[in-house]
Amino acid sequence: MGLTEDRERFREVGEERREDLAEFISHGDLGGSDPDRVRIPVKIVDLPEFEYDQREAGGVGQGQDGQPQPGQPVEPEPDGDEEGDPGEEGGEHEYYEMDPEEFARELDEELGLDLEPKGKRVVEEVEGDFTDTARAGPRGTLDVDEFFKRGLKRHLATDFDDEYVREGLFVAGAGVDDAFAWARDEGIPVSRAWIADAAATLAAEHGEPVAALDRWESFDALDDAVDREPVTQRIRREGLDSVPFRREDERFRHPEVIEKRERNVVVVNVRDASGSMRETKRELVERVFTPMDWYLTGKYDAAEFRYVVHDAEAWEVDREEFFGVQSGGGTRISSAYELVAEILEEYPYSEWNRYVFAAGDSENAGSDTTDAVIPLMESIDANLHAYVETQPGGAAPNARHADEVEEAFGDADNVAVARVSEPDDVTDAIYEILSTEADGDGGATAGEAARGRTDGGENR
Amino acid sequence: MRDERVEAKREAASLDEPAAEARQLAERLGLEPYPVRYWVVDHDEMNELIAYGGFQRRYPHWRWGMNYERQRKKDRHGLGKAFEIVNNDDPSHAFLQESNSAADQKAVITHVEAHADFFANNRWFGLYADRGEDGPNAAARLERNADRIAAIADRPAVDRDEVERLIDAVTALEDTIDQHSPVDAARSVEEPGIAEDVNDPDEDPLAAIEERIAELDLSEEVRRDVFDDEWLEARGEGVEPEEPRPDVLAFLRDHGKRYDPESGKSVDREPWETTVIDALREEAYYFAGQKQTKVMNEGWATYWESVMMGGEGFAGPDEFLTYADHMSRVLGSPGINPYKLGFELWSHVELRAARRDVIDKLLRVEGVTPENFHSRVDLDEVADALEPHPAIAGAGPATLDELAELAADGDPRVDAEAIDRALSARSEGPPETDGDWESDPDDGPDIERYPWKLLTREGLAERHYVLSRPEHRGALRNVSRETLTERARYMFDIDRYATVDEALADVDRAAGWDRMLEVRESHNDVTFIDAFLTDEFVREGNYFTYEYSRATEQHRVASVDADDVRKKLLLRFTNFGKPTVVVLDGNFRNRGELLLGHQYNGVALDEESAKATLERVFELWGRPVNLATIRVEYSDEAIRRAKRRGTEPKGEEVGVRFQYDGGEVTAHDLDPEIKERIAADEVDYDTKPDDWLA
Repeated sequence: MGLTEDRERFREVGEERREDLAEFISHGDLGGSDPDRVRIPVKIVDLPEFEYDQREAGGVGQGQDGQPQPGQPVEPEPDGDEEGDPGEEGGEHEYYEMDPEEFARELDEELGLDLEPKGKRVVEEVEGDFTDTARAGPRGTLDVDEFFKRGLKRHLATDFDDEYVREGLFVAGAGVDDAFAWARDEGIPVSRAWIADAAATLAAEHGEPVAALDRWESFDALDDAVDREPVTQRIRREGLDSVPFRREDERFRHPEVIEKRERNVVVVNVRDASGSMRETKRELVERVFTPMDWYLTGKYDAAEFRYVVHDAEAWEVDREEFFGVQSGGGTRISSAYELVAEILEEYPYSEWNRYVFAAGDSENAGSDTTDAVIPLMESIDANLHAYVETQPGGAAPNARHADEVEEAFGDADNVAVARVSEPDDVTDAIYEILSTEADGDGGATAGEAARGRTDGGENR
Repeated sequence: MRDERVEAKREAASLDEPAAEARQLAERLGLEPYPVRYWVVDHDEMNELIAYGGFQRRYPHWRWGMNYERQRKKDRHGLGKAFEIVNNDDPSHAFLQESNSAADQKAVITHVEAHADFFANNRWFGLYADRGEDGPNAAARLERNADRIAAIADRPAVDRDEVERLIDAVTALEDTIDQHSPVDAARSVEEPGIAEDVNDPDEDPLAAIEERIAELDLSEEVRRDVFDDEWLEARGEGVEPEEPRPDVLAFLRDHGKRYDPESGKSVDREPWETTVIDALREEAYYFAGQKQTKVMNEGWATYWESVMMGGEGFAGPDEFLTYADHMSRVLGSPGINPYKLGFELWSHVELRAARRDVIDKLLRVEGVTPENFHSRVDLDEVADALEPHPAIAGAGPATLDELAELAADGDPRVDAEAIDRALSARSEGPPETDGDWESDPDDGPDIERYPWKLLTREGLAERHYVLSRPEHRGALRNVSRETLTERARYMFDIDRYATVDEALADVDRAAGWDRMLEVRESHNDVTFIDAFLTDEFVREGNYFTYEYSRATEQHRVASVDADDVRKKLLLRFTNFGKPTVVVLDGNFRNRGELLLGHQYNGVALDEESAKATLERVFELWGRPVNLATIRVEYSDEAIRRAKRRGTEPKGEEVGVRFQYDGGEVTAHDLDPEIKERIAADEVDYDTKPDDWLA
């Protein structure tokens, strides 16, 4: 009973009622010193007290393996919680450290999500198997099979039935030129020089010029009488004595080039920082956004985060400022989406997975939502647009942004709206948002399944 | 609510036996704990108890809400499950987590019994607890404070936020008390909040004058014109302490006012404000005992837990692994871990006392001198002779007959009566084992599970004798001649033993435990570490000190020397590890300003938090407040030169006085006389070696 009230009062520390304590609040730095770790933030309020300057005080540490050497740099031990309770056992860390991938896995398990990130940007060309070939390369990569095949092909291409061609010279009245013309007509890869050479030999053997040899009346008669023996048959008969290897037949293997696509994501977090966004609302935003950021960090190879806060104007901030900024102004949510569109120009949709997460208390100026925000959301390509309404104590009647967005997009699989009124809603909200995209494909399947059932009913 | 929880009740019933047996064992081992009431709570109730510092009700404050959120987060993410929380009270209340395994519950119970012994017997706890017949009565007092402050906050005339702010201000100063004195030492009001004003007029002239003025029934304007604060302060001589007053909270309670922004003057507090201050100060004294003995107390509980759980098999064989795992996690957590540091120091106390006892006996053997000790005495024979009697070491059903023989000879190491009952139970055949421990008392003790019931404390001391534990067999051999000579110096040439055996027969196996009991009565963490942290401890634990190097702008390992490590640890434990701030003057510059002095020991204050704290002091004083301190200034040139030479720059210690009057905190030069008063020359916590960066 009393404690419930104490917790309520604690939540209000730093708020209007106890703004004097705001300077003593520390929120966890979510980046941490090690980029691979993320931390769960705890709001800590340290009342001031007389204490030592940490640098002047120094400290005592314990070496993990062996005694360290004086002069060696060390990380000072974080200041423990000295007001320990007797018997309370366990670490006194104020942060819970977790690896984003581990976190994403656990969240997948916990919520039954199954988000398969798409690879988009080509980040590098890696070497695949040695399956491509080129005409030059180191000797070691010479593709011997290919070399032989090419040599063989050449051999086959230049090889001809010499007996058959020689017969051409025995046609009546045919000289070297006639025989050459005939052989070429027949498609025999023979050179004129070879025929001339053969003719000279024959002339020497027979003692008269080849034109005088008349075994065949005409080339046609020769064709009818003698069958050309195909090369393959001849090789089979005579064997392959040599393959004419040539330099130009050399082929060198080199690795295949594969484009590797990185699963990269840009997340734009948008937060309403207007006067109505009090500490409790801000905290709810942090509670929803932080795990989603980790989740996406864990899911993707590379994640970039941009932070936009807005009242009636929008401006970009660093992560450290993002959850803390509060301005006094009114609210015009479209200002943020204009800036988002501008920021996302740096991240072409063809190369990047894009997420736009916005949060606020659903208050917006006039008809800004329907006139400006919704068209902007439609025009900004993204895997997912989400709006998180943080409204402790339930929806306010004049805060319609979330409702209007929901009405406009209905069940679109790239727009999610979630409402958070207390920390216990956070998990549901995260599920609502992240499952919207995970359902992208799954949603269609579900629809088909439903249709299938209907059909089944009709058939029966 | 809790009564309806069937699960929790069942668990609690199953703990009745271990709790009763642990109590018996603890007492047999020589402990004298407060009675303990055990509660079994679920994890959320546990989180609440931890948020409230071990109590079920506290005054309303957001701090408990913060503690709860943090503890819940730890609990949920498995970062620190609390097995148990016990509060220091008579009777003590111990809350055990429902989800603990059977082995954990037993371990926790033995741990709690030892805590309850520490609460009951340590004199630093006694500062709060010794209040005559009432005893500490802490739960009731804290509950009363809770009711009182809640009622104040609910009053229509009181702004609840103001109560909260006041609590914040007092909490910022909760460590500026005189924790070495009883809570009532600086008490000026019998029943806080009941008296009309803060002070007994007879004791404080200023208050008396003010009261008389109040009786004149003057209008605020006249009063302000004629009897302004300066006039008043000039007459309030009693406000100026001659000696520095360490109990800043008491001084503020007795002499503080509140600043009234409307009249721009300080006005008397409302009685409820004093009630709140006094209640919180009282609680600060209660928790001071705990904060000052964290290492000792946790080490003490861990030591006896290990004797009872490990040594006496309080964990069944099937539970022992769970217990061992639990223990190694507790002792193995990183950093300066009070469980581990305390446990090792206690083991060291025990070993040293036992060894001294044996050495003293051996040095009194005819012909043995410090010079010939190692050659004259066969230490292997000594070690064998110090082994416990086999029947004592293996006490249980198997050795019952042997133990009965010892009992027949009137041996003080065995419990003759228990042995008698065990014997007759045996001759009557096995008792029905229906598992109901409350069955017929004639059944005899369960010596299978609780063999220690057959032994007296003397017998148990022999059974667990430190020098016969394997890891300490070499302890006697390692004694240096120096130590021997020193011991011999205090010995008279009487009571000589003829032989070594005769001397060993006189060895007191309980010497270690007796010494531990003495130490637990009189020491706190500071004296404990100072007296018992040895070179071996530092070397074996790879402890080192580190300092910030201004030349390299990094923290660096400074020293591995045991004295340096001890010095640094003492800095961390002295005065709760906080700088000592005292009241130097309640009428500073004769203007009714408060002057606090930081007793400078070579380590400067964190100025940002000091300034913020000073603003809180103003809320409790109502007039301008000052803090005298010394800061170390490093000139740019000195740093440049140091960097060039690879040395550390020499800083200059400069006195500074911060003042706050409701506007901004301003810094002023400090009067050299005051600087003289706050600077201490003889202490030096710096462990940087000269050729550090060479």
